Amino acid sequence: MRGKVLRPALAYLVTALVLLPIVWMVGTSVKPPIEYVSPVVDLLPNAPTGEHYRQLIDDGILGKMLNSLIVSFGATFLALFAGFLAAYALVRLKLPKNADMAFLLFVLLIKLSPPIVLAIPLYQVLRTLGLLDTLAGLVLVYQVYALPFAIWMLLGFVRDVPVAYEEAALMDGASLFQRMVHVVVPLMTPGLIATAVFVLILCWNEFVYALLFIQTPSKFTLPTFIATLITEDETFWGRLSAIGFIASLPILALVGVVQKGLTRGFSGGLK
Amino acid sequence: MKSGRLVPLLFLAPALFLFGLLTIYPLVRVFLLSFFYTEYGFSGASFVGLENYAALLGDSFFRIATWNTIFFTVTATASEVGLGLLLALLVSKRFPGRFIVIPTLVAPFVLSTMVVTAIWRAWFHYDFGFLNNVLRAGGLPPVAWLFDPDIAIFSLVLVDVWQTVPLTFLILLAGLQSIQPEIYEAARMDGAGPRQILLRITIPLLIPHILLASLLRSIDSFKIFDKVYALTGGGPGQATETLSMYVYRLGFQFFDVGMASAAAVIMIVIAGALAALYAVRIMKGESHAG
Repeated sequence: MRGKVLRPALAYLVTALVLLPIVWMVGTSVKPPIEYVSPVVDLLPNAPTGEHYRQLIDDGILGKMLNSLIVSFGATFLALFAGFLAAYALVRLKLPKNADMAFLLFVLLIKLSPPIVLAIPLYQVLRTLGLLDTLAGLVLVYQVYALPFAIWMLLGFVRDVPVAYEEAALMDGASLFQRMVHVVVPLMTPGLIATAVFVLILCWNEFVYALLFIQTPSKFTLPTFIATLITEDETFWGRLSAIGFIASLPILALVGVVQKGLTRGFSGGLK
Repeated sequence: MKSGRLVPLLFLAPALFLFGLLTIYPLVRVFLLSFFYTEYGFSGASFVGLENYAALLGDSFFRIATWNTIFFTVTATASEVGLGLLLALLVSKRFPGRFIVIPTLVAPFVLSTMVVTAIWRAWFHYDFGFLNNVLRAGGLPPVAWLFDPDIAIFSLVLVDVWQTVPLTFLILLAGLQSIQPEIYEAARMDGAGPRQILLRITIPLLIPHILLASLLRSIDSFKIFDKVYALTGGGPGQATETLSMYVYRLGFQFFDVGMASAAAVIMIVIAGALAALYAVRIMKGESHAG
């Protein structure tokens, strides 16, 4: 019986503790500097101010946000396009023996390699293509992460589409293209959306390649912009918190959309 | 289903092209580069055989980075899986507000690592940071979270734990919920106490999920870069230098492409070994662990 009260109480306490840094961030984003550069424990502001948000607009935050949006949506679109076709081929079309298994193992290996090990040759690839220091270049190199992830996640969703539906359409004389557009894609819409959300989050948060392949500050994405603020000054906490909050809002909203698929998505589509 | 031989290839073409350009070519290239000495960047390469590897093994920085990476990976993975299990056990049964508690616990995991790092860098601040403010308020001495060489790596673990426990928690919670309630009932009928049920039934049945969570986290912690870059820069001294930082420094700050490539190849080999473990685990578990 004791557990009936104790467990929920402990669960609430832990949840509050886990949330504390996020609460601190939101609070600090509207605190005047004098309140947070202080040796006193204090989460919420006494005299709230919108100053940090206003200053971020002067810093060009909207431009950085646009860069992040362009790169994330561009990379997600490319990953979903190439990933869907590949996943469909792997599940439905007759491939030579063992080809699909070999392909999957390869996808897995890539997914698990540290991004930094590919960085040096990728730098040369981008330079050769003239895509160094461009957003298009980032869209391309993000496929290193995004594509294996998308393929792996979409495989499960393609498998969930009943073959019978497609066979029925085939009997009615539908071409492969027609079956894709009128049968497979509509049935897979929830899966495609879930995959898109996770790829979006992945790209929105990406840091290593954005750091290495973009040099011009006006082309920075939000994470690289945050990194410059972090290392520039020790106590720009108001601005940092404001930008952190702005960068997190769209993601928290997206996660709400796909709550049910959380485990599958976060274990890298590998579960 | 009928289809020409060309169609599968056509469907795979965009993905194969992207993999070829962005992964296969770079992998081959980094492997080749590791046998060359390069003069400042990519110019004037000369073949040196295994010299880069020999130089790495003799470099104390490389050894320190390797040790730190292993230490971080093991410490972070163990803490994350352990805490994830405790959390999953804590919320596995119904209670009021559970539907809000679970998504809330997951929140840190979706934040950008840079946002996470920004928060914790402020929290670790010696004079005005939240953690030291709390310690002082409790009458305890403040801690040099990022500047004490013995503590800095644990501070990185702490940040990693906060950010990624949600993942292990979700995996283990899914595992707990896949255990049939009849098994528990049977055990209770046989007179098993709560502790016996936990140790003899719950944990053994969770082993596949515990393994999955451990592998996912170890593979990911092994790559650690962003947090080190923005929290400690590898310092103080080399106390938090990791392999990813080491490759970054060699390749992108000192432009010693040959050495950096050799270090990258060694990282690929280690990551590949971890991946192989993982692949075996997936093949074996495909049918039941779901």
